[in-house]
Amino acid sequence: MKILVLGLDCAAPELLFGFDDLPNLRRLMEVGAYGRIESVIPPITVPAWMCMATSQDPGSLGVYGFRSRTDHSYGNLAIVNARSITELAIWDQLARAGKRSIIVGVPPGYPPRRINGLSVGCFLTPDTSENVFTHPDELSDEIRRLVGDYPVDVKGFRTHDKSWLRDQIFAMSRTQFQVVRHLMQNHPWDYFQFVDIGLDRIHHGFWKYHDPHHVLHEPDSPYRDTVHDYYRHLDLEIGEVLELLTDETIVLVVSDHGAQRLDGGFCVNEWLVREGLLVLNSYPEEVTPFGRLDVNWEQTRVWSEGGYYARVFFNVKGREPRGVIDPSDYQPFRNEIKARFEATSDAAGKPLGTLVFKPEEIYRMTRNVAPDLIVHFGGLSWRSIGGVGYPAIHIRENDTGPDDCNHAQFGAFILAAPGSPLIGEIEGAHLLDVAPTLLERGGYEIPSSMQGRSLVTGSGTLQPAGKGQYTATEEQLVRDRLSGLGYI
Amino acid sequence: MPNLARLRETGGFARLITTTPAQTPVAWSTFATGCNPGGHGIFDFIRRNPRTYLPDLALNRYEQKNMFLPPRAVNLRRGTPVWELLGARDIGSTVLRCPCTYPPDALLGQMLSGMGVPDVRGGLGTSTFYTSNPSAVSRESESLVRLPRGKGETVATHLIGPRNLKTGSDLQMEIAILLDPVGRRVVIHSSGSPEKLEVPLQSWSDWLRVKFKHGLLQSVRGLVRFHLLSLEPELELYASPINFDPDLPLYPISAPPGFAGDLAWRIGPYHTTGMAEDTSGLNNERISEEAFLDQCANVWREREAMMTLALERFESGLFYVLFDTPDRIQHMFWRFREPDHPAHRGTPPGHRFAAVIEECYRHCDAVVGKVLPAVDDQTLLIVLSDHGFNSFRRGVHLNTWLHDRGFLALRDGVRPGDDAGDLLRHVDWQRTKAYALGLSGIFLNLEDREEQGIVSADESDTIKTAIARGLADLRDEERNGVRAIRGVRPREDVYHGPYLEEAPDLVVNFASGYRVSWSSSMGGVAGGHIEDNVKKWSGDHIIDPDLVSGVLFMNRPFRGDGARLLDLAPTITAALGVPKGPAMEGESLLP
Repeated sequence: MKILVLGLDCAAPELLFGFDDLPNLRRLMEVGAYGRIESVIPPITVPAWMCMATSQDPGSLGVYGFRSRTDHSYGNLAIVNARSITELAIWDQLARAGKRSIIVGVPPGYPPRRINGLSVGCFLTPDTSENVFTHPDELSDEIRRLVGDYPVDVKGFRTHDKSWLRDQIFAMSRTQFQVVRHLMQNHPWDYFQFVDIGLDRIHHGFWKYHDPHHVLHEPDSPYRDTVHDYYRHLDLEIGEVLELLTDETIVLVVSDHGAQRLDGGFCVNEWLVREGLLVLNSYPEEVTPFGRLDVNWEQTRVWSEGGYYARVFFNVKGREPRGVIDPSDYQPFRNEIKARFEATSDAAGKPLGTLVFKPEEIYRMTRNVAPDLIVHFGGLSWRSIGGVGYPAIHIRENDTGPDDCNHAQFGAFILAAPGSPLIGEIEGAHLLDVAPTLLERGGYEIPSSMQGRSLVTGSGTLQPAGKGQYTATEEQLVRDRLSGLGYI
Repeated sequence: MPNLARLRETGGFARLITTTPAQTPVAWSTFATGCNPGGHGIFDFIRRNPRTYLPDLALNRYEQKNMFLPPRAVNLRRGTPVWELLGARDIGSTVLRCPCTYPPDALLGQMLSGMGVPDVRGGLGTSTFYTSNPSAVSRESESLVRLPRGKGETVATHLIGPRNLKTGSDLQMEIAILLDPVGRRVVIHSSGSPEKLEVPLQSWSDWLRVKFKHGLLQSVRGLVRFHLLSLEPELELYASPINFDPDLPLYPISAPPGFAGDLAWRIGPYHTTGMAEDTSGLNNERISEEAFLDQCANVWREREAMMTLALERFESGLFYVLFDTPDRIQHMFWRFREPDHPAHRGTPPGHRFAAVIEECYRHCDAVVGKVLPAVDDQTLLIVLSDHGFNSFRRGVHLNTWLHDRGFLALRDGVRPGDDAGDLLRHVDWQRTKAYALGLSGIFLNLEDREEQGIVSADESDTIKTAIARGLADLRDEERNGVRAIRGVRPREDVYHGPYLEEAPDLVVNFASGYRVSWSSSMGGVAGGHIEDNVKKWSGDHIIDPDLVSGVLFMNRPFRGDGARLLDLAPTITAALGVPKGPAMEGESLLP
């Protein structure tokens, strides 16, 4: 039994299951199981794809985002790379059974992972024309011979040049799918995984045109259908991939997280300054990134990193170099700050519905340097803006360039596995269930270290659609079944 | 009714004790198996899922073993039907349209499935109303398709086929409606057969054979008829539920499988859905009384044609054919017999609709007349009905009564009425002891059975007694305080057998003129306790079975006193010289 995982970074269940002109995906849904899949906290590309591959939560991986604090100093954060993750991934588990894998673009995939098989780097690869971006090295040349320069990302995707951006993303994805099909046909594999990053870039670049509820929506834009067009492009490419398969293949189409419209940015450090928790020696005259601020660490108790979500750090005595919070005050202080974050409101004073998490409560363990709090402003409908110098707490534009969308906690999956009893819409699937499910369906043992469970056999924790409540699908089925019974 | 009169003289006539409740699927299952409902598992049209508290059709279900096997239909009528017993003795049977025979039973002979066969949408029948009126809204059990109000001569639209369960979307087939106001008709162009179908104004069309493409290789075939309601000022066209095509039904509807198609080859296309007469179309006031009667006449003709054909081929054994149109006609035309019926709406006295039910009985007599030539002295002829009929003037909101007496609680802030919706959606299960669902039953919210059950086994008897006493004393204050309910019985008093556990905990026996309300049958909690029934569906039989006995005629003398539906299967086995089945509870009525 072979396993094929087609990753669609950022694919939203509302769109993947909502567009009715995706015949290849529909066919997979008809023969398999599908539904929403809950992502990790934070639902971010790094670490989400590796949480999926290892069935470990972010705390257990010690990776809390693209950048991680390497120690408790105030210095820069290090960008996570492929070597930051040491847990065994599903392809490592398969290698133990002598099986070969091909992985293409699974983040973080640079430096290229040395696996039993082939690997091609992800969008974190600096420059594929200069660097070796594959394992083994010579695969880079094979790919260059096939497609010329191999694109791993669209550099500078937060741009106003939308026409250029759209064409770049589509071209990148087409090239990547061409390579994927080439590798599938010309190299042996038992496990194949590809992640299409183009969809994430399309969402971030074009969401406002497609969503009339977006604050910056432009009606009748020529880019109105770009998001939809990209899903159709994916469906066609996936259709061509499916042509190459035999019946003895498990196919999983899956996203690492969903997508939702972005209502704006919440200037978290600006807010901390106003709350008196972050103290500056001099307030900047213009918008300044956090790393270049003149922070008075002797008086600062809290600061935060920006991004899709906020990683909030406390300045703790004996832990940070110039810490001020007494360790005995840590827990009550943290509870107070958590409550203050939860009470944050929009510019009109309406509560944002901000979610605040304590790492030790959501992770099985916390390796490396975990944030003291993780904050999803407005359930991630607001970005976290790290810079200071803004005239307001709430801004519309993103600090790192135009961005229309943020991630959502629920991604999507379609699992078509021969002989699987799992059919139809499934509720309660989690990202950490992916690796155990694939291993179990493929006839392999599930390592006890994995934190998820097989969606097929681990039905003990799988929610059968609500307690004493029914789903819309169940209700519709009943109405269909009783339609025309004159007595009711 | 000369033929029935002759039977009464030569053999006999008796009132036939029906089942509790007096419902078609329950009664005919008892007829077929010789068991009380506890022995065959059909207690009502509607059962409920104790996990979700949702209702579902009780007659059948679908199961799918894995992704490579198609789903299959499973009959929920259990027990052993008499034709299986006879087949084991090499006695053949021909069974046409008996309720609860879907999918068909394994038998020696032929069977055409009856009530339980769905339309292609999976329900008992979903029609489609096409209209150019932009403010039209869909009514019960129908889909609505709005047509453009353009000046063009051709309107492009589609037929609505099966729902794709995975995606929730509908399969469609394109049709074009060619308008011909001068000719007072439309012509429907499609890829079906015939390619051009004429629909004259205020008439039914012939059958259109259609095909819905489903996936790459599959398609679903069906039969549909149209009725042109209006050409001007609005275009209004009515499409019947899409019946399974007897040649290639989505699920088997006959045994052997080719029997249904063979019948169609001989008598032409025919209605295959279990409840062929379009009561919803009339109840929704889409089609007229005339159009409904016209359709009923069609069903009669089809049934007589298949009966005649099958009788020609029949030599010995058991022959069964059901004519169920009288049931539908009585449901829909009862109001014309009673000037004070809430649904009578001032129809002038002597209107010809007032005689429709009598005409229907005479039609039944004529059918018997057509059979008599085939009945020789070696033949036992049994003519029977499964239940009688009565008026349906007032509906009782059982759930609202349960709510007001503290047995059923709604979530905070929700009051009985429209806000409470249907399907028990706002019921607070943590505080609810009992709920009504279906046509005659009340269920306890029992611990370890219902998903959020709170009633312990110890207290269930007390609650049942309290509900039974309270309901038996429910007075209709707007009707001089008459009792709406004659009695409420715990299931243990009514049923016994292997499927007892599936029965409602309490069975409600309504008084004459009363019935469970439209709302409560589907888990609604309406305002008030009793309401007028103003719908055209104005007669019913889901009341105290003592008030709606069936009838029984035979061409030989029989024991008529106390004859029960239960006794028919043993009567049939006795007539054919076979011992009755071990589970059969009745006794032969033959001397």
